[in-house]
Formats: sequence, C-alpha cells, structure tokens
Amino acid sequence: MSERITTNMIIGSTLADINAAQTTMTRSQEELASGKSILEPSDNPYGASQAITLQSSIDGLTAYEHGAQDGVSWLNTSSSALSSIASQAQRVRELVLQGASGINSPNDMEDIAEEVEQLTEGVKQDADTQYAGQYVFSGTLTGTVPYKPGAEDAYQGNAGTISRALGPGSSVNVAVNLASVLGSGEAAADGKLLDTLRTIAKNLREGTPAAVETLRTTDLHALDTNLNALTGLQAEAGAVTDQLQLALSRISSLQDAATTQLANVQDANIAQVSIEFSNQHAAFEAALRAGASIVQESLLEFLH
Amino acid sequence: MSIPTLQGLQTALSGLLANQEAIDTTGQNITNANTEGYSRQTAILQANDPLRIAALSPVTGEGAQLGTGVSVQTITRIHDTYLDAEYRNQNTALGAANTDVEELQQAQGAFDEPSSSGLSAQLSAFWSSWSELADSPTSEAAKVSVVSVATQLADTLHQLGSQLQAIEGQAVAQYASLTGPAGTVASDAEQIAQLNQQIKLSLLAHQQPNNLEDRRDLLIDKLSSLAAVSVTTEADGTDTISFGNAAKPLVENATVNWPQALTSAAGGQLGALLSLSSPAGALAQYQDGLNEFAATLAASVNALHTATPFFKGATAATLEVAVTPAEVQTSSEKAAGGNNVALAIAALRGGAADQRYAALVEQVGSGVQNAQASQANSQAVVNTLSGERQSVSGVSLDEEMTNLITFQRGYEASARALNAMNEMLETLINHTGV
Repeated sequence: MSERITTNMIIGSTLADINAAQTTMTRSQEELASGKSILEPSDNPYGASQAITLQSSIDGLTAYEHGAQDGVSWLNTSSSALSSIASQAQRVRELVLQGASGINSPNDMEDIAEEVEQLTEGVKQDADTQYAGQYVFSGTLTGTVPYKPGAEDAYQGNAGTISRALGPGSSVNVAVNLASVLGSGEAAADGKLLDTLRTIAKNLREGTPAAVETLRTTDLHALDTNLNALTGLQAEAGAVTDQLQLALSRISSLQDAATTQLANVQDANIAQVSIEFSNQHAAFEAALRAGASIVQESLLEFLH
Repeated sequence: MSIPTLQGLQTALSGLLANQEAIDTTGQNITNANTEGYSRQTAILQANDPLRIAALSPVTGEGAQLGTGVSVQTITRIHDTYLDAEYRNQNTALGAANTDVEELQQAQGAFDEPSSSGLSAQLSAFWSSWSELADSPTSEAAKVSVVSVATQLADTLHQLGSQLQAIEGQAVAQYASLTGPAGTVASDAEQIAQLNQQIKLSLLAHQQPNNLEDRRDLLIDKLSSLAAVSVTTEADGTDTISFGNAAKPLVENATVNWPQALTSAAGGQLGALLSLSSPAGALAQYQDGLNEFAATLAASVNALHTATPFFKGATAATLEVAVTPAEVQTSSEKAAGGNNVALAIAALRGGAADQRYAALVEQVGSGVQNAQASQANSQAVVNTLSGERQSVSGVSLDEEMTNLITFQRGYEASARALNAMNEMLETLINHTGV
C-alpha cells in the first residue's frame, strides 16, 4: 500500500518548509545587519570565547600603545631639558676659559661669576621640568621639586624608576637619573655638575692667581667630566626613546594582526552571506508559490 | 419452496440505509478534517445473512442461498497504536529539548556576549583603567576612573548572577505550576480518568466510542511532552497511564494518582526543569563558574594591591570595590609617581580571571548549541512520526470526495433496484390475470 497523503499533511509540510526557509533567511538577514557571524555564543562557542579573548588583547595593545606614546612624550620633555642643561654647561665652559685667561679685571671676574651663577640657576630650573604636572627628574617622587630654587642644591627626589609597559612582561624605565649628573651641590662636595658650577663661581670671584690656576686645571677638568656624563645621559634617554618607538611600530602591527584575526573569527563574510540570502529568498518565494498552488488543488475543483 | 415476494424490497432498503450511513460517516470525516486528534472513521459494510432456499434449482434440485442485502457492521477509527507509542516517546524528548533551549537561551541572553556591554568588555575596561593609571599615577581622575570602572564591573557581575538565579527560580516555579493542583498534569489526568469511565460504559453498551478515544489519545499526546508516558489498554477499554518515573500510575481506570514525586529522570519538560534547577544542573554550574571568576579576580588583584584589599567578597553576588579613589595603590613604595603596582595589575589582563570567564562563555554557548541540536533532531523525528500518523489516521478530502461519490452512487442504485422491484409488483398486482 502506498502512503496516503492527506490534506493536513500537505498543509503541515508546506508550512514547515516555509518556516524553515524563513528561519534561514532571518538568520542571514541578522548576519548582514550586524556584520557578525557570531551573534550569540551558541553560534560558535569556541569562536565566541576566542572573540572575547582577542577583543581583550586588542584593548591591551591599545593600552600598551598609550603607555609607549606617553613614555615618548615624557622622554622628549626630559631630552629637551637635558639639551638645555648641556648648552648652559657649555656656556659655563666658555666662561671658565675666559675667566682663566688672566686678563680680566676683578669687575669682569665678578660679572663672569654672576653669569655662572645665573646659568646654575637655569640648570636647576631645567631640572625642575614637569610633564603633565609631574617632575620628570625626581625619580618616583614626581610630586616633589627635585631642586629648590636658590642657594640650596640638595637633590629632593629619589633614584626610583618609572616604567612603561611595552607588552606582557616587558617594560622600560623612562625616568632619567639626572641627579647622577647634577649631584647635590657644594655641601655634598660630590664633584657633580652643581658642585662644579658653585666651585667655579667661587674661584672666579676669588680671582687670585691660585684660584685662576684651579679654574684652568681642576675645575675645567671636572666640568668636562660632568659634560661627558650629561652626554651619556642624553644618549641613554635617546636609546629608550628609540626602544619605545620600535615598540610602537611592533604594537601597531600586532594590533593589525589581532584585528584581522578577530574579524576572521566573528565577522560575517558579507559577500557570501549576501549570495546565500538571495538563494534563501528565492527558495522562500518558491516555497510560497508551491504552497499556494498545491494547497488549492483538490478533487473538489473538478466535481460538479 | 419459493422466495418471499417482498424480500427484494427489504434488500434494496438495506442498501439505501447502509449507503446513507456510509455517507454520514464520510460527512463526519469531512467536517472533522481539521479537528486536532481526530482519526478518520470508516463504516464497515457486511452482507446480511442469506436466506436459505431449499431444492429450488430445477436442474440439480439443490437448495441455494439468496442474499438479503447489506448492513453496517461497525464504524471504526483507523489508528496505529504502535505509531502512537513511538510518537509519544519522541514527543517526550522534544519537550525536554524545547525546555532546555528556552531556559539555556535565557541564560545565554543574560551573558550578552560577545558585545560591547557584556562582562568581558567591562573586564577589559577595568584592565585598561589600570594601564591608564600606570601612565599617570598621580592623576586623581585616573584613580576615580579605576574605582568607577571596577564598580561597574562588580555591578554587572551582580546583575548577571541574579539573572541566572532568577532563571533558575523561574524553572522551579514553572515546575510547581505545571504539577500543582490546578496544573496541566492534574487537569489532563482528571479528564483522562473521566474519558476512561465513559469509554468503559460505551463498550459495555456495545457502542464503539471512537470520538472519546480520539480525545483521550490527544490528552495522552499532550502529557507526553511533559514527561515520559506509557499506556496499557486494559480489557475493559480503559487506559492505565504511567507518567515519568512516578511510583504509581498517573491514571488507573477512573482514579487519578497525583501529586507524586518526580526526578530529573522523568523526561520531558518536567524532567528538564528538574534537571536544570538541580544543584548540579546547568544553571547552578553557570553560577558556580561566575563565582569562581569573581573569586579569581578578587584574589589576583588583591594579591598585588597590598596596601588594602581592592575587592571584598569572592562570589558574583558579594564582590564589591573596597577602596576609595584615594586608597587606590599605584606603587609598592610610598612615592607618588611610582607605578609598579598599577603596571602589575594591568598585566593581569588575559590571566586566570579572563580565561575563566571566556571558558564560562564557551560552556554556556555549548550548552545552548547542544540543546538546539537535540531540539532539531527531536523535532525532525516528531515531524516524521506525526506525518506517518497523519498518513494513517488523517482525513484526505480527495479520498472522502471519492467515497462520497461511491456511496452516493450506491444509494442511487439501491433506489433504482427498489424502483424496479416496485414496477415488478405493479405488474404482478395490477396487470396479472386481469
């Protein structure tokens, strides 16, 4: 016996077909509207957890990028302060040579000493440079002025390091240890730049042949040593800046890679979904047409 | 021996009556073509006992049997009890799958992943706020931002936890309402018991209670989506129905045994509800996962934020931010510009807490995916079985129209025979020997 096909079976299967066609069409429509192939975790559980992880690592890379950019700005501020200190120290060196020439009157020597003292004050001002309200040369005591204006030359900061993260487990120190070059002045007698500058000013003002001799030999030598150390510090800051720039370009390519990966995981293939949508739409229309004609067909049409 | 003169009239009359009854049955089928649970009926025709005519044959002198027409033996419904049992088995599986999908999808909806507003986005924002603080450790705004982002994260966690709890509560309430004194189980069972009684009485009166049986079958079909049913038809025509894994039959003759205890092994919607809301059920597992996430997050942040615990509480419901912006610790030393603690906390991104949460989302997604797959499977099987049942029991209008013509013609032909008989008698009575 062949299977009986009843009127309600035809209606039921037609309805089921139309519903199925409509469901797949709605799904494609949602994918097209959102641009995503994963709308809920159940669409692809592993993909969804991967998308969450990737999104977080993209956010993390953005945070590293901000940190590195901030570090570059911090170091640029520090570097320009270092350059300014270096040029002022260079000017002091010229003045020392001038003062050591032995042809200056006591008044001239006094003028030179005064200029050296002004330059010393300028160096301290440069050391008090701030970036975004933080003193860049105070170590981690960024709220403390590293050098007070005036005669007091003691360093107020610490030797702490300030890190910027470049990636998981990798960071650089952006705090330039200027105190290692400037020192804590005459009172500390540490032979650092501030001590040297104060000594130079004192010897200039003294003006005796012995003092001039000291200027020419010991003081000039000490100043050159300090200048060398300063140049070393500038090079160090430059190297860290380069490291940050390098990290920035690496972070940017990592961001591209992660974004592409995220797109591969969760984005809908618009071209493919569009074509599927057209197919589904055609199938849906066909199901409707077939339903409309098959449900109408009945023996009743042909009986009189 | 001769034939009774008026026998032919009686024979033709029986044809008229039988065809009329068959036409009535066809009409019943047509009008009930769209009635849920209706099984098509057919009038079983049978030739009447013949008249024995002795020694009539002029050739052999033997007797003969003369037919005396037709009568309707019974009106039966066309039905396959094997298909019924199969259908109900699969319907139980479908009821469970539907419930799983519905409840688990609600849980999945509560997670709202992947999105820019879900917990994962809040967590990512939390780590980012620590990165920002590490860049400017003296900034008050950055500290305020850390605390407010963390508070939002904790709020989202509370909401998610309480939503999951609410979904579990709904499952419990739904079970209670279905199985309660005014619930579906009780009312369906009560109706089945009444139908049992009526069917028994009809059978005692030698009437075939087709429509009552259809109604009873339909009720059993509906019960089968709630829990597994098995039906035993007794000699008196009553159905004994065992339901889920209840100790006693739900319906026995005209007696209803309800309420009874079920377990998650009952199958169907009720079994699924019990299983979902059980202490080891999916909803409890999700809440455990969320609590683990909260504990991991609090422990890993607090281990680095040593000055004072950053978070207090270690469950989804109790996790709170325990610090004010001024208490946010950026550095392990007292220096304002230090940022080693902020950097270390920012570096927790992608760590144990993140991984726990991502795994939870994957678990939730897989739960829904599996439930959807088994829903689709059960639905397909139920559709097939439903089609097979329709094929056996459903009304085909084309077939009924054909039957209608057949019986209509049969009726007309019987009337014609009656007419011929009448004319014959007319000849005999009025024109013979006159």
